[in-house]
Amino acid sequence: MTDTETNSIQSLVARIKSGETSPIACVVDSINQIRQRNDDLFAFISDCEADALAQATELESAIKSGTDPGPLAGVPIAIKDGICTRGHTTTAGSKMLETFVPPYDATIVTRLKQAGAICIGKTNLDEFAMGSSTENSAFGTSKNPWSTDCVAGGSSGGSAAAVSGLFAPAAIGSDTGGSIRQPASFCGITGLKPTYGRVSRYGLMAFASSLDQIGPMAWSAQDNALLMNVLAGHDEKDSTSSREPVPDYLASLPQPIRGLRIGICEQHMAEGLDDEVRKSVADAIGLLQDLGAEIKNVSLPHSQYAVATYYVVAPCEASSNLSRYDGVRYTARESADDLKAMYSKTRKSNFGEEVTRRILLGTYSLSSGYDHELYKKASKVRRLIKQDYDNAFADVDLIAGPTVPTTAFKIGQHAQDPLAMYLADIYTASANLAGIPAISLPCGFSAGGLPIGLQLQANMFDEAKLLQTGHQYQTQTDWHTRRPQP
Amino acid sequence: MASAEKIASLACIELSPTDVPQIQSEFEKILAYIHLLDEVDIPEGTQPFYGATESTNATRPDVVTQSEPRESILKNAPDTDGEFYRVPPVF
Repeated sequence: MTDTETNSIQSLVARIKSGETSPIACVVDSINQIRQRNDDLFAFISDCEADALAQATELESAIKSGTDPGPLAGVPIAIKDGICTRGHTTTAGSKMLETFVPPYDATIVTRLKQAGAICIGKTNLDEFAMGSSTENSAFGTSKNPWSTDCVAGGSSGGSAAAVSGLFAPAAIGSDTGGSIRQPASFCGITGLKPTYGRVSRYGLMAFASSLDQIGPMAWSAQDNALLMNVLAGHDEKDSTSSREPVPDYLASLPQPIRGLRIGICEQHMAEGLDDEVRKSVADAIGLLQDLGAEIKNVSLPHSQYAVATYYVVAPCEASSNLSRYDGVRYTARESADDLKAMYSKTRKSNFGEEVTRRILLGTYSLSSGYDHELYKKASKVRRLIKQDYDNAFADVDLIAGPTVPTTAFKIGQHAQDPLAMYLADIYTASANLAGIPAISLPCGFSAGGLPIGLQLQANMFDEAKLLQTGHQYQTQTDWHTRRPQP
Repeated sequence: MASAEKIASLACIELSPTDVPQIQSEFEKILAYIHLLDEVDIPEGTQPFYGATESTNATRPDVVTQSEPRESILKNAPDTDGEFYRVPPVF
């Protein structure tokens, strides 16, 4: 996948179906890229060469026999290593699961396979998706393909680097507080966090169950729409997945955005925002206005409390979800004379610093007698954040602003300061708290050559509007067609 | 502020004495930030929001389906007797 043409999933599928290229050629190309360049970028924790080649061979016979090979026929796809793949190691970036081999596929993996996509590897992430840089992975840090001394973002940093580093034209990430959108912004690609419940999470290793959502990452909004057509929909194995009908996300893309009401949140354009980011985002909003959108001011007065709320809610849920990693069922165990000591030693030796920090923080917030009012208070503020959005979406269709206050930071820059790292989520976490969908679109570059992201947020189940607006923006701009030098 | 040791014991994570001062100081910084929430004016009667679905129970027909065979589940366990998980003595 080295020319820009083949980085578009849609044109790649067309070329595969016409016989111009083949699934095997695509898989071999991706695997070769991993062999040659993964040591430098560390986008992948592992590759899936044997299974990928077997699936490509099957697809080729299907194509030859005239069977419809599916809407993603032969597309190499990179899957975050917190998502279960049957028979293939799935680590969640943790030493705790270094040798864990799931006996089943996540529902989205099954759906992607049925659509003809081929998983070529499992991508790096912050341990159990806790982090904004992949520096919390037990296996290494993914580098930003635009500048290898910078982070690719996180937690889905490996997935963003897999697309941006031209290993695969598509990737799957998960987003609990910004983990798809922030790395998409840092790596100059398009990434969508769908509405809570829009995409099944069966087989996603749970971090914070009221916030986690799986979503697509690719160069363009159009490719994200194509992926969403496969990913979205109810799953009886995930009781939180929605029964709302799924629209054809490709259908609305060509429609002009004239008359669309776009809100600008003053709180998101205020202090702490990098000047280059501010300018690129303002230019992007100006272009949307030129395309006929009506720009209005909206207020999200409680968004300034989103990170504080998030860092109560997410650790509380994590401390409960991660109690299952106790040395009994999942691979890692440290020996000890009694059961409680075995739990404690196993968890000490196999969880990294950030995961330990968040489990302790969550345990603290939920412990009777310490700060037990904290979770309830945070959940009430969460209601106010949600109400802010309800009020705003009564007046506008979308809300536009920066995805992240800065461009990609240097590897190691925030290593000694967890709180500074948490603030990378300042514009993204509120969408997870409210459950609404949001997309990050490439909208410019800093003078230093680092990508900048525009975030659009929409009301519940309005992904089609995000993708349509993103696509219309991308018909007028070429930011999403820029490629880093390999 | 509760002691780091007490919280770690509740969370079943062993802490070495050398970890404690660092964890305690990071906690204090993070908690100071989190307590920004104390300044929010929460109107009387505001209900907590625990998640975006707020749906009632999602039911489905009670149909027996094939589940994963025991062997494939136990394969990932560090210790089994072939039929059950095996753990060190409770006491």
